Amino acid sequence: MAISSDTANSSDTADETTASTLPAAGRTDAWYVQYAREHVLHIAVIAFLAAYPGIYSLLVNSPVSAEFVAVLPRVETMVTVLYFGLFAMSFDFISGYTGYLSFGHAAFYGTGAYFVILATNGKFPGVGPETPFVALLVLGGLLAVALAIVIGALSFRLSGVYFAMITLGFSQVLYVFVRDWSFVGSAPRDGIAVTGKLSGFQIGVPGVDALNLAIGQLTGDAVEGFLGVLSFTPTEVSYYMVGLVVLVSYFAMQRIIHSPFGRVMIAIRENEERARAIGYDTFRYKLGAFAISAFFAGIAGGLLAGFKRSVTPESGFYFLVAGDALLASVLGGFGTLAGPLYGHLFDETVREFLSKAGGGGGLLPYLRDHLGANTMATELYNGLTVAEAIDTFLNGHAALYVGILFVLFVLYVPNGLLGTLRDRYGGTLSTVVARWFQ
Amino acid sequence: MSLLSLSNVHTYYGESHVLEGIDIDVHEGEVVALIGRNGVGKTTTLRSVLQLTQPRDGSITYRGEELVGLGTHEVAQRGLGWIPEERRMFGQLTVEENIRVAVPDAGDEAAALDQAFETFPDLESRRDADASDLSGGQQQMLALARGLVGENDLLLVDEPSEGLAPLIVDAVADALNAAAEHTTILLVEQNLPLALDLADRFYVIDHGTVVDSGDTSDVTADDDRLRRYLSA
Amino acid sequence: MNGLVLLGDALVLSGFVDALVDFLGPSNLGTVLLDGLAKAALYVMIASGLTLVFGLMGVLNFAHGSLTMVGAYLGGLLLVLTAGTATGGVTRILLFLLAVVTVFAILAAVGGLLEVGLIRPIYDRPPLYQILLTFGVTLALDEFVRIVVSFYGIQPISEWQAALATKPAALSQSYAFAGVSARGLALFQILFGVATIVAIWAFLTKTRYGLFVRAGSEDGEMLAALGVDVQRVFTLVFALGTGIAGVAGVLLAWDPSWGASVPLAAETLLPAFVVVIIGGLGTFRGTVVAAGIVGMTDATMTWWFQNFVDFTGLPEMTIFLILVLTLVWRPQGLYGVSEVGGH
Repeated sequence: MAISSDTANSSDTADETTASTLPAAGRTDAWYVQYAREHVLHIAVIAFLAAYPGIYSLLVNSPVSAEFVAVLPRVETMVTVLYFGLFAMSFDFISGYTGYLSFGHAAFYGTGAYFVILATNGKFPGVGPETPFVALLVLGGLLAVALAIVIGALSFRLSGVYFAMITLGFSQVLYVFVRDWSFVGSAPRDGIAVTGKLSGFQIGVPGVDALNLAIGQLTGDAVEGFLGVLSFTPTEVSYYMVGLVVLVSYFAMQRIIHSPFGRVMIAIRENEERARAIGYDTFRYKLGAFAISAFFAGIAGGLLAGFKRSVTPESGFYFLVAGDALLASVLGGFGTLAGPLYGHLFDETVREFLSKAGGGGGLLPYLRDHLGANTMATELYNGLTVAEAIDTFLNGHAALYVGILFVLFVLYVPNGLLGTLRDRYGGTLSTVVARWFQ
Repeated sequence: MSLLSLSNVHTYYGESHVLEGIDIDVHEGEVVALIGRNGVGKTTTLRSVLQLTQPRDGSITYRGEELVGLGTHEVAQRGLGWIPEERRMFGQLTVEENIRVAVPDAGDEAAALDQAFETFPDLESRRDADASDLSGGQQQMLALARGLVGENDLLLVDEPSEGLAPLIVDAVADALNAAAEHTTILLVEQNLPLALDLADRFYVIDHGTVVDSGDTSDVTADDDRLRRYLSA
Repeated sequence: MNGLVLLGDALVLSGFVDALVDFLGPSNLGTVLLDGLAKAALYVMIASGLTLVFGLMGVLNFAHGSLTMVGAYLGGLLLVLTAGTATGGVTRILLFLLAVVTVFAILAAVGGLLEVGLIRPIYDRPPLYQILLTFGVTLALDEFVRIVVSFYGIQPISEWQAALATKPAALSQSYAFAGVSARGLALFQILFGVATIVAIWAFLTKTRYGLFVRAGSEDGEMLAALGVDVQRVFTLVFALGTGIAGVAGVLLAWDPSWGASVPLAAETLLPAFVVVIIGGLGTFRGTVVAAGIVGMTDATMTWWFQNFVDFTGLPEMTIFLILVLTLVWRPQGLYGVSEVGGH
């Protein structure tokens, strides 16, 4: 029987986890059994994500392919889901757990992305095309941390709307800066691309060649004969390597949330006055949380740069980038950490479903195949055929429908999908599933 | 029949159970005082009547009509006026504008202003001043004026003497007495002598319930009966 | 090496001094002043609605920019439909005024519906939700407009040229007086801005509802306790705010540096935020003064960018830096009462 509180997701504390997954009296389980039980759901999700490329190719090549090609996102979209999902999770880390809405979060994402590319292009002393990608990721993250400390030191004197606006202001300054500064490139408005290095960025143990795999749709490594039977395309390899980084990052953030530090973060969200009265230096905790969230946002940006090998001011620094993270968090659930990843997965799935892009997956080709050319050509109004109507009102305009959904969620499902599920079952889903296995 | 009747009212602030079953009756024409320590729920009682903080349980009737569930402005429109703690002037509006806001009918503004300034001549000389520039005593008069021009039959007055010098308190008491001649008043006041002087009856509130009540003519300010419920 | 660096610095410094002297010359200064006032007028129009709504309701309407954009397209549509090539200048101005009135009415109605349907239900929730909700509205609305506009063959991203063309010729010209060159459009915008300021000021100080708005911006609870239906005042102010936003859009549809386009939503939202926060959330006086400051800064920095500093983003960056400085030094803004984070 869970205690329902006014604000959701305060139930995701470490106490709940341990309290409800203690073995029955008299039995002592080995630590790994305990760990496995507590993380059954995590393992299941990770297993599913790991199997996804395989599932996708299986379904695409099967008789039922049409339906699935239409609905399931392509593997390369999934790569974006992963690294932007990490960004969205870092956004939730600060906004969902401390209650301070970081509307300027794109600043850190853009910093990570730009740093990786500029460093690889030799713009900074000390780093260059030969620097291991993993090192660049960490350095980009640290750069974002430094930025966060500066921004946070000034911004955390305020709260609420003011905090959101001032962080937005900072991120827009950076946006304009990067858009117009010639140091960045010859046509800064168009963004920058990797020119200093032709081969793909490698993720793995730096220096150990055998434990590194390159990412990138064209530059990535293809793997043949893994475990004797499996082969992976460069995109699939990118998916796994990026996924690995995201996974490690997620667990790191999760550890912090479930630690005393994380509990103070939540206390700040629930009632900052009281937290301060108890004796916590809330300013330091907020700054710390902000810095941590910036670190992972920077890493996410670095992954973007590593995979796409180019970035524009719009895709890195523009405030709507943080808006997308906000959207992901609302759909998935603020203060759930994993929720935003699912929220973004949903967002990208719908966008791809309704994308205008050529034949590759989507509503229009599917309908075309199934309703037949005649139905598609039927005139609805003023010479507009069904096909044209779909192309005009649906395709490429996922933002409208997702936006409407977003509004509906804010009104009726304010805790997002994951958040609502957690409320319903009184605890993180991991603990719920863990209890089944007792 | 009572003008205002609170029956087993329970009000919460969040999860905090502030009013744990309040029963109060106020009859037309009288002045009733609520006495008690800080934090026992006196202000909350007034706020509950006005539906500023809606009671979770119990009933509050005014002239027989249930108030719980109505909007604050609907309660006010039925003739209840609020003269809150800290007066709550609209500081950036002038004295005159502060009064005008309280007048229910736009057409009556001029008449209402005349009447207010007649009762409080001190305010007339400062009619164009920003309300935030007034002294504490003048603000209290303005708050009273607002309550009176609102065509209210019942005034809910919260700590009118708070923060005022004794001489000013006397003036406030005079004004309240004058108002009491044609308006019913429910008064919250920590200044015991003032409360007993103004009121006909009293209720003592402790820990969110009524623990004692009676006629003010039966008690004095030094009475142990009352003192034990007040701050040391 | 040192000598060369010093020489380089000296050259830059002397170049700067030259530019400064140039800038302070009466004709340049005059032009910049007028440009600044025109920009200030636009900023006042873009920001007034936002400040009235936030001051009274504590709601930061993220969809404000989108509503300006809708106003620009609607106004542009009315003008394109009614102004033929032979229409005279005066008639065009009259048609413009007609468009303004129509757009105001339509957008005010839309605003009222928005408030009743979407804002009111979440009014009691933490302010975060209002930001989220209005953000969602902006996403959906922008995309919706994109669909409609593309459907009729108008490019959503570039400025609507046809609408720009409905301007009377008199406004596209520049006029010289007292050695200063003034664009006709700038003068028109200043006039409009002043008219708007006067109209809003009159509403706030001379009408009963204006009185309620000012009182409610200070203490909504007390206002309700005085018998005023604050909910109705909210709806009215929200409608008013969106109406003004729409009118600002119509004005912008005639300005080649803005123009009716979907990105106009974001282009106006950010400056609106800046102006409102520098001036003080909820004070109209603050918005007017801040619009003046931001407008003058914008015009000044634009001149400097065109004549000395090769950095396109100079005006924008300066303005954002002013925002940051304001929030650090005086978060409640120039005329703000206190750090109101909501209601």
